[in-house]
Amino acid sequence: MLKPFLFLRHRLACLILLLCSVYFPLSAQQDTTIVIKVLGGLQFDLPRFAVRPNTRVTITLDNHDDMAHNLVVTQPNSRIKVVDEALKLAEKGAKMDYIPNSPLVIAHTRILEPGRMESITFLVDKEGTYPYVCTYPGHGYIMYGAMYVTTKPLPPLEKDLNVPETQRQKTGATANHSGHHMASQSPHPYPLKYPLHYRTFMPDCSPAAIAVALNETESYCFDAGKCYLRYAWSGGFVDNSEQWKGNGSKLTKIVGDIYWHDNTGFPFRIGKIDITPEVHFKGYHLTNRIPTFRYLLNNIEVKETLTLLPGDTGLSRTFTFRNNTQPLLFIIKTDDGITYKSSVGKFNDGVLTIPAGTQKLTLTMKK
Amino acid sequence: MKTIRYIATLLIGLLFIQISYAKNYFPKDSAADYYTVENIPLPEGLIAETGAIGFMPDGRFIACFHRGEIMTYNLKTKKWKLFAEGMHDPLGILVVNNREILIMQRPELTRIRDTDGDGIADDYETVTDDFGLSGNYHEFAFGPVADKQGNLFIALNLASNGAGIRKEIRGKYDSLSRPGRMYSCVPYRGWIMKLTKDGKLHPYAVGFRSPNSLGFDAQGRLFVSDNQGDWLGTSKLFHVEEGKFYGHPAGLIWKEDFPRVVPIKLPVSKLDSMRTKESIQFPHGYFANSPTQPIWDNTNGKFGPFAGQMLVGDMDHKYVMRILMEEVGGALQGACIPMNFGSKMRIGNNRLVFAPDGSLWVGQNDHGWAGSRGIQKIAWKGKTHLDIMAMNLTRTGFDLTFTLPLNEDAAKDMANYKFKRFYYEYHQAYGSKQFDVQDIPVKSVKLSPDRKKVSIELAEMKAGYVYELRTGDLKTNDEKYLFNNLICYSLNKLLE
Repeated sequence: MLKPFLFLRHRLACLILLLCSVYFPLSAQQDTTIVIKVLGGLQFDLPRFAVRPNTRVTITLDNHDDMAHNLVVTQPNSRIKVVDEALKLAEKGAKMDYIPNSPLVIAHTRILEPGRMESITFLVDKEGTYPYVCTYPGHGYIMYGAMYVTTKPLPPLEKDLNVPETQRQKTGATANHSGHHMASQSPHPYPLKYPLHYRTFMPDCSPAAIAVALNETESYCFDAGKCYLRYAWSGGFVDNSEQWKGNGSKLTKIVGDIYWHDNTGFPFRIGKIDITPEVHFKGYHLTNRIPTFRYLLNNIEVKETLTLLPGDTGLSRTFTFRNNTQPLLFIIKTDDGITYKSSVGKFNDGVLTIPAGTQKLTLTMKK
Repeated sequence: MKTIRYIATLLIGLLFIQISYAKNYFPKDSAADYYTVENIPLPEGLIAETGAIGFMPDGRFIACFHRGEIMTYNLKTKKWKLFAEGMHDPLGILVVNNREILIMQRPELTRIRDTDGDGIADDYETVTDDFGLSGNYHEFAFGPVADKQGNLFIALNLASNGAGIRKEIRGKYDSLSRPGRMYSCVPYRGWIMKLTKDGKLHPYAVGFRSPNSLGFDAQGRLFVSDNQGDWLGTSKLFHVEEGKFYGHPAGLIWKEDFPRVVPIKLPVSKLDSMRTKESIQFPHGYFANSPTQPIWDNTNGKFGPFAGQMLVGDMDHKYVMRILMEEVGGALQGACIPMNFGSKMRIGNNRLVFAPDGSLWVGQNDHGWAGSRGIQKIAWKGKTHLDIMAMNLTRTGFDLTFTLPLNEDAAKDMANYKFKRFYYEYHQAYGSKQFDVQDIPVKSVKLSPDRKKVSIELAEMKAGYVYELRTGDLKTNDEKYLFNNLICYSLNKLLE
């Protein structure tokens, strides 16, 4: 059922808008269609949305619940009044779809049985916060939302009093470990324990990334697609709140400051400097929660474990090799502000030569 | 004497009132009379977006969640325990033994083991990551499920043009299928993959959009559900066989020897002729919106009368869907019917698994879409309700087989069977309306001598349509009513 948007007031508004649009074509009327589904537990799936003033809004109410519902758009600050007026309809209510005959009602659907849907179209001209609510008896006090008619940003959802409290949830508690009071902030059903790792979408890395915190302030990102250490940072770990929200489109954020970034593209070479090996990631093992990564450089098996230097002054990278019948070359950038030292082999012009057959090597990277 | 007669009349009168009261005002039986739905208590602080669930051989329940936790639940102590952590959107689990599981997470299939026996996983082995990742959020990965030979099957979502891809990707980039709503720009997006025991991952079947997720039936046949969208007029359940194409063209670019053409530029009639049709269509909106995991009832009757049948969850409805399949003309087709458990059941029914005691455990998720969070356990109370056991195609209509003998008058009343038919179009646009919607008159109804089978003759039978039946007040003689009263048969082929 279409609730006509032709109250005199609206007609006048339309006329004014029409006249305005002649002179200000930028403010032309827009059309928007919003689908609102009913969730269980007396909730609209959309707790709020925003449209610009002078929008012809179509709301489709799609009722998947096992109860009957309607959707009533009211004038600003009128939700409770309309809900109370609907209640007063008493036994007449059902016949009237629980819609009070009131100027506070802007538009409404009928009562929709489970599985039904209905669209309503109406014009919103003036800025304001227009509640939408189910006026079925008992529902109106918890089942509502807010249509913002505005061009301004909305208040944060968790502080938006126009949204039911249950839908003001903070999705994605922040794993913000800036050093001191992180224990209370675990986003998991257990306190965070360090070392700690997440497979997640990290910036400046392939999509198969592993973020590792060696302690509350020292972290690194290992690329599990390309099999090398990408960067390391100090001051915290990660904030996954955006990544965890909904479908996981957004990247996890680094908390702290990156002090080292691999600038070589890929550090290992086999035999000759111009041959980049093919890599395969094979997994990792946790020892006291510290990961040891396993990967292949062609057919050379590599294990790599990263730990902290004393006083958190940098990283120690321990490699073990198997099937390395040729010398391995490991490339660094000498101007990256890091002091490199290796337990095996020598650096020459930013290239460490690791003799064939070397089984173990520790490379330290001091900030 | 007069008084006694008066009292007797009054009593008899009261009795009549009572009977008619019982008839008119006693509530009909409902699903809640036959099943219990219990919320499994969750550990405090858990965001229970449930990615996958399973049972360990020792009886522990295991679940993985959106924030990467994998936790076990001891049914006796009702205690949760962390098993592994740090997974990237895990959406599939396969239990190997009490100390080992396989997890399908975004970037790879991972074998997770507790090697030192302390109850907490310490080894995360990459079983396969031999498929592309563009970083697009819609590239979810599902499975694994194992066939009887031990091969594993996983399903790889297409990317969505609602978001871009990352600067760095994994796998060979090919922009050929980028035009269109959903695309496959790295290998084997839109495919079902088979991992053989030698560790190699092979492309198995193509043409999927968002195959959440896979399951075998009692006969060992592989099924995959897929979600309404572009090239899917409505949500579907496919019987997946090697080498076949199931309708969404984006993934075709990775098919060996496929010509270098933009798949969606091929004529629809050409694509239509190439594709293998679904076994089941789930009418969109009022029946299903987003079908999930197919499993089969392996409880041997502990979960009620439907042993051996397949169940599929849905994200938007407070029920699971029961699949009534048959082979017609060499392919599987059949009907789907809601399986209600009462109003305590939530929506968001992403994952299903049967517990050793025959109860059905359901893992719920929302994942940024409609749904809910948590875990529920559904148990059968042991009484059989009136339901449709089978819907079989005949030359002139359908045979409906019921769980219980029907009341004869109700069963023979043609008004209790309202048929309509329609079809969804195979096309590029998102979803399809119902085309050629027609009520199909019932010509005759016959009831079998045991009153459990109704043979319905319809005015017209036409292939390529969904036949939707809404039943009226069918009931047994002891007033049990058919409360699951919507059933949809995908009539791909007529009997020859």
